[in-house]
Amino acid sequence: MKRILADVMAFGRQYLRSRVGTFFALAFPVILILLFGAIFSSSGSPRVSLAVQDMDRTDASRGFVQALNNTTLISYQAIPPTANFQDYMRAHSINVALQIPNGFQATLAQAKNGSTSARVNVTLAGDPTQSSFGIAYSAVAAVANGFNLQIANATEVVSVGETPFTVQQFGYIDFFLPGIIGFTILTTPMFGMTSICAEYRTRRFFKLLATTKLSKAEWLAAKVVFYVLLLFLSVAIMMLVGIGVFGMKARLTPVAVLLIIAGAFEFTSLGMVLGIFVRDPGTGEALANAIGFPMMFLAGSFFPIDSMPSFLQTIARALPLTYINEGLRATMVLANDGTAVTYLLITLGFAVVFFVIGARGLSWKSK
Amino acid sequence: MDSQRAATENSMGPRDVAPLRVVAVGEHVIEVRGLVKRYPDITAVDGIDFDVSRGQVFSLLGPNGAGKTTTVEILEGLRDPTAGEARVLGQDVRSGYRRIRERVGVLPQDFEPFDRLRPREAVTYWARLFDHDVSEEAVASIIETVGLSNRADTFALNLSGGEKRRLGIAMALVGQPDLLFLDEPTTGLDPGARRELWTLIGDLKKKGRTILLTTHYLDEAEQLADDVAIMNHGKIVAHGSPSALISQFGGGTTIVLAGAGRGGSQALTARGIAAELHGDDVFVHVPMAGQVRPMLAKLASIEVPLTEIYTKRSTLEDVFLKLVGARMEEGVLAA
Repeated sequence: MKRILADVMAFGRQYLRSRVGTFFALAFPVILILLFGAIFSSSGSPRVSLAVQDMDRTDASRGFVQALNNTTLISYQAIPPTANFQDYMRAHSINVALQIPNGFQATLAQAKNGSTSARVNVTLAGDPTQSSFGIAYSAVAAVANGFNLQIANATEVVSVGETPFTVQQFGYIDFFLPGIIGFTILTTPMFGMTSICAEYRTRRFFKLLATTKLSKAEWLAAKVVFYVLLLFLSVAIMMLVGIGVFGMKARLTPVAVLLIIAGAFEFTSLGMVLGIFVRDPGTGEALANAIGFPMMFLAGSFFPIDSMPSFLQTIARALPLTYINEGLRATMVLANDGTAVTYLLITLGFAVVFFVIGARGLSWKSK
Repeated sequence: MDSQRAATENSMGPRDVAPLRVVAVGEHVIEVRGLVKRYPDITAVDGIDFDVSRGQVFSLLGPNGAGKTTTVEILEGLRDPTAGEARVLGQDVRSGYRRIRERVGVLPQDFEPFDRLRPREAVTYWARLFDHDVSEEAVASIIETVGLSNRADTFALNLSGGEKRRLGIAMALVGQPDLLFLDEPTTGLDPGARRELWTLIGDLKKKGRTILLTTHYLDEAEQLADDVAIMNHGKIVAHGSPSALISQFGGGTTIVLAGAGRGGSQALTARGIAAELHGDDVFVHVPMAGQVRPMLAKLASIEVPLTEIYTKRSTLEDVFLKLVGARMEEGVLAA
């Protein structure tokens, strides 16, 4: 135990004295939470910028634009009526634009007076593959539908109400936090350990350590302890910033704490497993990137696994990070500790396997 | 004996740093018999035998690739031998290293310290990896021993090459080891730093440390070692004290007639004296010390133009040249 503590102290000193270490331990979590918090917490939903060319310039067309502006989905900007619609879009790099044609108000008046053949098209231009186009289309269609109902003197019979699924009134940032914690659990120890193994091999520190009484298992245990402490520091900073700046309500539960510890254990060990195969820092970085980046996207850190194609969902279920992300969401947001404990046990299983492979496979001695 | 050791080593104070416990001169600390290390493409160590006695500085000398470091790493427990026997402090290196790890100090080849630890912190850290409760005074004393007191709080990153090696030796000393392995401790250092390290190793020797020193510097081995084994192609080609090797293989004393030139060489040959021309100088080898004076008198009687006459004792370099057939420059055999 003394040897483990000595290694934690020495390694920790070196880590925190390096600029990279300080950045990842202190600054990076703050950047993450500020970035994602700013994206997802400001309005509760994203706004799409929609340029509108009102060729009609009547009360009815202005009313249509006003109705669009009143939705929470659109932020409006005007295209001069004299401009060529498509040339203006290209010249100003506009993604989505709406054109209200001449005769808009007149057609509405005809419809109101009972004409059944009165039709007017508002034109939405843009790239249909972009999500912003879909959002704009929904908003325009909803406003058009509202106008149609009004002309028909109809009332809205079916409407949609919102009710939170969670125990408390959580915001988007609260849903996002477990993914950010999972992302940090993946990147900090795994990327760190892979590059440490590469550095220790090229600079012969492993050989040097092999001349002491410190065993490989003790060395790895020391790294696990250090990364657990570092991750708690990172999570604490993220939560403080999240609560202070964005009024975040999610809190660490006891199961979440255990998941963070198990996750640090798991990814420190996985980093050591990768370290078996790396011979120099360049290879270490490439290998960690090759494993880490697909995992962070596939394991639901940023996108829900349910929205992925089924074959990717199958892959996601085989990834160790998935169980940390899902476990943290289950306990911190959904108050479902039963599921979280199951995922905690799966994480521990992965961790033990990686630890054993890492401790046995990484050679400190020469052949 | 072992319990006494344990009692003295579990708490380390400044008094422990200075001269050692009583040593039994002649007791073998290292015993190597028929040691072989074979790789698929090369036999790095090819059946070598040697012993290192307690309190001795033993040097493995040879060019790069001779098998020195492989031998030392087997003795440090870092490589497994293919065949043969190696015992360190009475333990078989294959099975018993766990028991002697704390009694052995190691400065590996190309030692690099941890960049962002200060020498004071590095020594403390290393002591704890050997389960020693080391006091601040003890750490300061070790650092003083290697002459790093004024750099004790500088990041290792900012130490010079010589200072880094000193730090490595300090780390090797934390367990108060019975045996110290110094693998090419001065390679890559400037002459000044090399001399400083020689002084430090000399001091450790005076304090009775047993040291196994590998080097490709002939002058280093001659200066520091009590016993030298010259290795080449995995074999020991000569073994003995530097003076014994020099007298056996070095050809005694050389009388140098500086500036005597070809004419001088021919004049000596005509008088039946074996002479060698080296540039503008003429060398006359005298195998026995007792023959030097009469030969000098004989040379004085011959009319030879010269600028200076002096004697030169053979060195390990001459021994190496004779045994290996080539000179060694920076660890590489000259063509």
